[in-house]
Amino acid sequence: MQPQVTLLGAIIAIVFATSIGGLLWWMLHPPAQIQPAVAKARHAVGAFKRILVPTLGVAYSEKAIELACRLGTEQKAEIVLTYVLEIPRTLPLDASIPEGEAQGNEALERGKAVVELHDLIPILRLERAREAGEGIVKVAKENEVDVIVLGIRPSWHGGQNIWGQTTDILLKKAPCEVIIDKLPG
Amino acid sequence: MKTNSTSAPIPTQQVKHELRRDVTVWGSFMWGYADVGADIYVALGLVMAYAQGAASLVFAIAGSIYIMIGFAYTELSSAYPVAGGGPYFTLRGLGDFWGFVGGSALLLDYTIDIALFAVGSAGYINFFMPYVIGRTPESFVISIGPLHGINPIWCLESLIIIGILIMVNIRGIKESSVLNSFLGAVDLMAESSVIIFGFLFAWKPEMLASQWKTQFPSMHNFMYGSSLAIISFVGLESISQAAQETKRPASIIPRTSLTLIFTVFIFAVSFSTLGLGVLPWQNFAARMGDPVAMLAHTIPYIGLIAGPLAAILGATILFISSNSGVMSASRLTFSLSQFGIISPWFHAVHPKYHTPVRTIVIFSMIGVIQTILSFLTPSAMDTLGNMYAFGASLGYILVFIALIKLRFSDPYTPRPYKVPLNVNIKYKGRKTSFPILGVIGMLGVGTILFEVVLTHTIGRIAGPSWIILCFMYYVWYRKRDGYPVFGSIKHDWEAEQIEVLTSAEEYDLLEQYKLALAERDKKRKEIK
Repeated sequence: MQPQVTLLGAIIAIVFATSIGGLLWWMLHPPAQIQPAVAKARHAVGAFKRILVPTLGVAYSEKAIELACRLGTEQKAEIVLTYVLEIPRTLPLDASIPEGEAQGNEALERGKAVVELHDLIPILRLERAREAGEGIVKVAKENEVDVIVLGIRPSWHGGQNIWGQTTDILLKKAPCEVIIDKLPG
Repeated sequence: MKTNSTSAPIPTQQVKHELRRDVTVWGSFMWGYADVGADIYVALGLVMAYAQGAASLVFAIAGSIYIMIGFAYTELSSAYPVAGGGPYFTLRGLGDFWGFVGGSALLLDYTIDIALFAVGSAGYINFFMPYVIGRTPESFVISIGPLHGINPIWCLESLIIIGILIMVNIRGIKESSVLNSFLGAVDLMAESSVIIFGFLFAWKPEMLASQWKTQFPSMHNFMYGSSLAIISFVGLESISQAAQETKRPASIIPRTSLTLIFTVFIFAVSFSTLGLGVLPWQNFAARMGDPVAMLAHTIPYIGLIAGPLAAILGATILFISSNSGVMSASRLTFSLSQFGIISPWFHAVHPKYHTPVRTIVIFSMIGVIQTILSFLTPSAMDTLGNMYAFGASLGYILVFIALIKLRFSDPYTPRPYKVPLNVNIKYKGRKTSFPILGVIGMLGVGTILFEVVLTHTIGRIAGPSWIILCFMYYVWYRKRDGYPVFGSIKHDWEAEQIEVLTSAEEYDLLEQYKLALAERDKKRKEIK
């Protein structure tokens, strides 16, 4: 047979060679293997479906809310925000403290705005307790949260207790993981 | 997800998974390619004979449906990386009875694989006949009474090939990944060279246009040809076979199988387009035994070498495909017996060679019978292709239904690859993605099955007869062992899935799966 070159034939030949070559190149470059420990670590974070953030309505608390939202974005976690109203032991637990309640609600509303910016579901809890730490642990248990993200005050005045009492209680009694975020002092 | 139990469970120790081989990405691709890539050697002449000037269109239509089937297999093989293939997916999705139907359809196809590819391999050996003995294979054709066009020499050659396969499989051979890789790579290069050189130096667009315009087939032939074109894609099951023996199948299989699907599709459409632009379709119809070698022989510059090389490659690669029919039948019966679909009797091993001798002999002998009977018809290849199409299309329909069902009944198993085009719907309070392409694919394969029943005289009788025969056995076996005929035996799919993902070293998916199950259990607890 006499050779006969046509433009269309040449284009088809090039398209054919490019397609097969491209397919083989793509096939030969699969993603790297994930080791068991890495997979566990990756999915351990993915398992945070309900995240609790205690807030005081201050900058470091709100940063903790933002941090929690980013932790929960991929898996669309629920963000439980709690403000613990510490009731002095001299008063009954259900005593009316309008100023404290207003402050708490304001802190929760601000936190809610942060959560909604991430398209996540906020759950707000104004909790009354003798100690903030005890109140947080109670909310964590009742809401079956997977992790608590706690922002703590940046200043440390050189005392023995670097964490503060609330943090100390949480680290001892929390029913789940605790992530502490401390800003530089 | 647990299937409703109506009988005693199968002991868990009975369901064991084979050890995995360390098959590389290239090895995994070549495993499939050595099987599926061989099909065009058989299909080209056969489809051209019926689809005539519209052969490219027919290959493109059948290929589009095949791509959808391939998508379904890719999703299921990467989600359930075990060797059972279509019947396993069907069994998981639809229960034991439909798993049996899918299994028997596939078993029919494996026996036809043995026969069809042995006949094809012999056809390519016959390329050299005129040069060796000075006679063409067609010169041996005889008539016996009312039966015409019988080629006893070609038939004998095919039977000898099956005989060799029976012997070597009883003695025990291992499918060589290295040999498959080597032959597949050589074949890939050879086929690519024929296509590239063919389009560059031999292809005449006006010839293609003329054949399209003047040689367009009748509707009957178009339908017949498009249902036969499905044999260009025989061996899709090898995707799931490869999954069982590939490390990290969930990461590797989507890439290798999608590459395989598109490569085979491109080859099928390219060969038919090239063929119609180089030679009249009648030439291919007259050389059903070795169409690729004949085409390669006509290409300028490389034809002198490419023709004989294509014939040698065709004969070898089709021999391997025929052998994969024997081995796959054995794998399938093993898998079916593990799930109580057929008796473990089939898997008894040879006392000396420790090979599944009963399966090898029984299913190869069925292949022998099919070969002999097909040579009594005017065209052996046509008859075998005819029967193949029935089994394949029935099995593929069930796979599509299983794909859709499993999206709802087993949403917890992570799917590293999903059939494209999904819509999210709420089902039992959970977001589920419904595969639109699964429905389109099912309708497409359904159309092919309809075409088979409508146009394939032999396929529409032999296919259902085979299924009925198998059903009679199934009823007898299940009743004998106290298993329900239409119900399912209890299977602990969750434990099995964890075992499969662990052995596949798919740790990321394993964690995802465990997490999904834990979440489901938590929700169930909350509801209680």
